[in-house]
Amino acid sequence: MDLMLLTGLLASGVRFAMPLLFAALGETMGQKSGVLNVGLEGIMLVGAFLAVAFSVATGSPWGGLLAATLGGAAMGLLHGFFAVRLKVDQIVSGLALILLGLGLSGFGYRLVFAGHQTIRVPGFERLDLGPLSDLPVLGPLLFSHHLLAYVGIFMAVGLWWILTRTGLGLTIRAVGENPKAADSVGIDVDKVRMRCAAFGGAMAGIGGAYLSTAQLAGFVEDMVAGRGFIAIACVVFARWNPLGVLAVALIFGIADAGQIRLQPFFPQIPYQFFIILPYVLALVALAGSAKSASLPAALAQPYRKA
Amino acid sequence: MLVLDRDSRVALMALAACALLLLGLIALAGESPLRVLAILIGDGFLTRAGLADALVRSIPLTLTGLGVALSFRAGVFNIGVDGQLLIGAALAMACAPILGPLPSALALPLLLLAGTLGGAIWGGIAGILKARFGANEIIATIMLNYIAIQMVSWLIRGPLQEPMGIFPRSEKLAASLRLPILFDGTRLSAGLIVAALACVAVWFLVARSRYGYALTVTGKNADAARYGGIQPAVIAFSVLCLSGALAGLAGIVEVSGLHGRLQEGFAGGIGITAIAVALLARLSPLWVPVAAFGFAGLYVGSDAIARLTAVPFPLVHVIEGTIVLAFLVLQIMPKAKDR
Repeated sequence: MDLMLLTGLLASGVRFAMPLLFAALGETMGQKSGVLNVGLEGIMLVGAFLAVAFSVATGSPWGGLLAATLGGAAMGLLHGFFAVRLKVDQIVSGLALILLGLGLSGFGYRLVFAGHQTIRVPGFERLDLGPLSDLPVLGPLLFSHHLLAYVGIFMAVGLWWILTRTGLGLTIRAVGENPKAADSVGIDVDKVRMRCAAFGGAMAGIGGAYLSTAQLAGFVEDMVAGRGFIAIACVVFARWNPLGVLAVALIFGIADAGQIRLQPFFPQIPYQFFIILPYVLALVALAGSAKSASLPAALAQPYRKA
Repeated sequence: MLVLDRDSRVALMALAACALLLLGLIALAGESPLRVLAILIGDGFLTRAGLADALVRSIPLTLTGLGVALSFRAGVFNIGVDGQLLIGAALAMACAPILGPLPSALALPLLLLAGTLGGAIWGGIAGILKARFGANEIIATIMLNYIAIQMVSWLIRGPLQEPMGIFPRSEKLAASLRLPILFDGTRLSAGLIVAALACVAVWFLVARSRYGYALTVTGKNADAARYGGIQPAVIAFSVLCLSGALAGLAGIVEVSGLHGRLQEGFAGGIGITAIAVALLARLSPLWVPVAAFGFAGLYVGSDAIARLTAVPFPLVHVIEGTIVLAFLVLQIMPKAKDR
């Protein structure tokens, strides 16, 4: 494989990684606070749909992004309401989100776009850093992505810093590890968890928006295709570390970009065997990392005041 | 008079909000909710054709719903019913050429067995990943879903494709391998009997066997189960095999009783509905067929709504999601009364 090909692979790997990165970063914060949300898939679907609908309506991808963020946050809050406030089974509540997301996005899509064959979706422009973007190899690799991609990388570093170096991070971790102790020093456990759940939802919404307006240009029903679950696998594999999440999301992104680029080189192998690669990778990653001491001790356990 | 505490009131308000959301969506599509409801109930449950169709659809939902209920009882979340169903159907179809020449009384049960086995294998993979490596079964079973979809896509374009080689689909099953139709003029096959037998078998397993007891204990409290000499890892593996087996059986029953051949998307969306079915039945095997029939009617009615009105079909998933949330709200109600 020559250098051009490799550069192209890595560059599109970054692009493919972003929906996973945003969703997984949000899930990391949620899980760190003790809230497990298995419904990312549904939130990403809603985010992807809202992003397209509102990009078209406002004529700007940023309008779409805003709608997806708010829609995602609303679904995160809905999950928080059931999981944190009502203290019901978090997994079942997450499953409900998947159904709601599938329904709402499909419903909205058929209602708004049915009959329209081609809609031009105003997508995100690639960042043009002039001479930097024209650099060989480094240009396409580092300096020619959507602005949103840099936001994602910045957020991975920022969230790592918040979690490990600030009082807020300590609060979140305390709520997820030992809510009783956190409560005893006056932290409102449920409030922290609600906010983390809403943040996680908003991030999944952004991940969906990236998928439909930056990585691809348009909405197709069920387009998230399991990425919501791969994002959860990323969190586990990265051991709940935002910087690790960045690395793992990149691995998945490159694997996904790679399987598409490998297909033409091996025409004798059925293409379906390439498509499954990211999913197989997720299985292997899960099996290799599941028994981890980094698992937040109070994950998926509602806190009741004594 | 029933006095509700604050949590319950808030929960009921959340449900009311969901109902309003549904009405809002229907209004958004420019239809009257009453008309939509009338079509949903009328076409889904009250016409002869609708009723027959709902029964046809309740067969796979019952079988898969039983599987989901079993695994959820043990606290194991098998979300991969779709994949297990597909692999079950695919393995059975791969065996069909060998079984074809045998007498039907022997061949048909063997065909169903092959489907069951295929589903069990696919569930068992997730089971090994969970029991041996501690991998989360929700993610594992979902990943296996996507892998199964691609495997079937390959099979019906490759090894299992019809000899003509034009369409991506398998050859039609020989008549000896088809489940007989129960009533002339309908599509209702003997799969209904298979589903009924499965209900009884799973009920016996859950309510009358040691294994069923072990399942329930593990689901309620894994530590207590361990203390009582039950190994949660063994339970997780075995219940994923069983749950997958029922899904695989559903897959081949769909093919043998309804479609006659393997084709793409022949059972799409059954898995996610099976979860709603199992939850609505409160994981009780004898309520599963009732819930399955309810959801089957909901699907038939939703088809009619999409055909007759401007309300798009995916509304059905919003309704399903709302029902799951309602199930959660109902769960906290008795607790509210205890206090």
